[in-house]
Amino acid sequence: MIHFERFKLENGLTVLFHKEASTPMAVVNLLYDVGARDESEEKTGFAHLFEHLMFGGSVNIPDFDGPLQAAGGESNAFTSNDITNYYDVLPAHNLDTALWLESDRMLSLAFTDKSLEVQRNVVIEEFKQRYLNQPYGDVWLELRPLAYTKHPYKWATIGKEIKHIEDAKMSDVKAFFKKHYHPSNCILCVIGNFELDYVKERVNHFFGSIPKAKKSARILPLEPAQDRFKSKTLVRNVPADAFYYAFKMPERKHPGYYFADLLSDIMGREKVSKMYVDLIKKQKLVSEINAYITGSMDEGLFIITGKLNEGKSFAELDKEIWKILAHYKTTLISKKELEQIKIKLRTARAFQDQGLLNRAMNLSFFELLGDANGINEEQEIYQSIHADDLRTFANQLFAKKNGVLLKVKKKKNA
Amino acid sequence: MLNRQVAPKLTPIKSIDFSVPETYEIHAGIPLYWKNNIANETSKIELHFNAGTTIETPILASLTAGLLISGTKTKSAIQIHHALDAVGAYYDVSVSQEQAVVTLYALNSYLKQAFDIFHEALTAAIFPEKEVQEICNERQEKLKVQLQKVNVLAQRKIQQVLFEETPYSQVISQGDYATVKRTDLITFHQKYYLNGLSKVFLVGDLSKEEMLDIKTACADFAGKVFNPLNCKFSGKAHIVHQEKSDALQTAIRIGKIMFNKTHPDFIAFSVMNTILGDYFGSRLMSNIREDKGYTYGIGSYMMENTNFGYFMIATEVAKEVREATIQEVKNELERLQTELVPTEELELVKSYLLGQLLKAADGPYAMLDLFSGVELHGMDISFYNKYIQKVQEITAEEIREMACKHLDWKSLSIISVG
Repeated sequence: MIHFERFKLENGLTVLFHKEASTPMAVVNLLYDVGARDESEEKTGFAHLFEHLMFGGSVNIPDFDGPLQAAGGESNAFTSNDITNYYDVLPAHNLDTALWLESDRMLSLAFTDKSLEVQRNVVIEEFKQRYLNQPYGDVWLELRPLAYTKHPYKWATIGKEIKHIEDAKMSDVKAFFKKHYHPSNCILCVIGNFELDYVKERVNHFFGSIPKAKKSARILPLEPAQDRFKSKTLVRNVPADAFYYAFKMPERKHPGYYFADLLSDIMGREKVSKMYVDLIKKQKLVSEINAYITGSMDEGLFIITGKLNEGKSFAELDKEIWKILAHYKTTLISKKELEQIKIKLRTARAFQDQGLLNRAMNLSFFELLGDANGINEEQEIYQSIHADDLRTFANQLFAKKNGVLLKVKKKKNA
Repeated sequence: MLNRQVAPKLTPIKSIDFSVPETYEIHAGIPLYWKNNIANETSKIELHFNAGTTIETPILASLTAGLLISGTKTKSAIQIHHALDAVGAYYDVSVSQEQAVVTLYALNSYLKQAFDIFHEALTAAIFPEKEVQEICNERQEKLKVQLQKVNVLAQRKIQQVLFEETPYSQVISQGDYATVKRTDLITFHQKYYLNGLSKVFLVGDLSKEEMLDIKTACADFAGKVFNPLNCKFSGKAHIVHQEKSDALQTAIRIGKIMFNKTHPDFIAFSVMNTILGDYFGSRLMSNIREDKGYTYGIGSYMMENTNFGYFMIATEVAKEVREATIQEVKNELERLQTELVPTEELELVKSYLLGQLLKAADGPYAMLDLFSGVELHGMDISFYNKYIQKVQEITAEEIREMACKHLDWKSLSIISVG
């Protein structure tokens, strides 16, 4: 059980506080309710580029990292298709430093041309390093537009193409800030050995005077129901043929999300899953295979991916994959297997909760979903799932017209 | 009224509480360290074996480690994995140059059961031929992917040149998989797992009886105590560029053999290294990422083995700025060798390092890792008090001296691939 307190400032900032008496450190986490799904199709990669600019100095403080490091702290951030999350970890007695820095960049950025120019280059190098200069690195740049036709999940967080980042203008940066970076679009979470009154007073002191702005409504294009199975083949300089089956799964708040998550754990279990035993051990069709979910806010993807062994064909694989999916549609998962997966989930969760930063991010994320207390209710949801829930769900999920397949074919003589 | 231009007052860190685990002896020279009184139900056990890549060949070390749970005479690999799953346990095995470390994670009420399953699987492992073939296939495919990455190629190359003509230079190549025989793995397992335990770390609220049972069972893996190799490295600097025509970026590694914690210069050198490249505001990051935008990231690191250490600068940059980047690294080293670090920067780094140490000592798992970092070198936890004192006292002159004494440009090997 993770105890927390919640309060709201007059300007709309939601604050969560979780007291942890055993640590000398403090965590300050800010989740902004903006991600790549809030970008326009002509200017993708912007939420992430913007995250970089948040470290380029704010209106009253020329350098973000320096003062934090001088306080013995560290900071970083990440952007997803749904959210942008910033965090600071520092000795608890210097809590003020993190609140001072974070409140100033929520108030306004410095918006220097130099910062924009440099971070554009840094992000372009990141684009190359992570997506273009790696074998299979561009898979998500291709899989997203295959799976989504209208919804902004059709582009990756890094952006559709390098050109969009090259073209980013200062006026775009300012407009983006104004729309998304203000108190009512943010959830602040503080963890440390403090008293609630103290946290209230310090947060109010630094954040209280930031002007209120209206949270803009999010109206995203709806993804039309898919009506047929789609596939695409890429030919790349890669060492082995790889496959990515993706099935549309329910959004984060839907009960089906939990079914999908548990089912992916069962199907992707290393060494013992049916896929592993049938395709790797018995048939020697693939050298690796895995299943996982994207875990997104809106309709997400259930992925089955792996690599073919030399001399095996995509057609052979396809036949076997559908056999396995048919198995989950017709056969109940044994009580024993379900119990195993549930206790593994409990273990994993206990280890996750060990970390202060993890607790701060999870509390903030559940608050965004509607209530931070969701963090304490989630295990119960998983534990209450029955085998027939999963079988029923597999029938909807693995309907053929609900899926897409991306094949990455090895270039001849590569 | 809040004046946002004035930074809040800072409180410096003066001292940190370090604690040591309870120590027990499994066998002569083989300790078990136990950290209990944990505030939650997590627990883990870490078994360290003298089964790293340098003891024989990397291929044998790597495959044996990968097949520890591959079946016994009476149980298949699948049955054993199911048994571990039934108690909600996870395990992983990591192999470094000197050690193989097997870690089991479970809720404390299940750790003993998980350990018993693991113990039986490990002592009675038979390395079935089928499992050997499977892992060879899987690893070979993964290696093919790895060998397309410029950072992997550069890392392998610098390892080969820094440690040339010693077992530390060995890397796995594609051809190695065809040479492996099942019997070699059985022999390796017999020598370095069934007789190669070097120490055990245990974290978790177990009963004393459970802990003692685990300790007794661990004695089954104890054999003779190994002394790590004492290698002579040539220290010769190499400059190598490998062209990779389809690459979009170039990976750069710059490094040399260095000392570890046992050396009197270690703490001063690591403060200098932090200023150079070991935090987000470092000189390499400020110049090469934040000013020039050549890279997504650049850093400098100190790595430690039992009898030596090494120093390394690592980055991936746009292909057309490879030479400009190397030149900037050279400039930054020269600046550290000729100019004194400004007080403000030095004070910032001091506070940063002490804050990071406070974080590194936060919680039982972190504290045990800190302990492990000194235990490896036969030192005790008081090292960290000396560290705090040295960091507080170090002067700009000493930083300059460290850069001059240990980072002569001509002594560094420079590898680039891309």
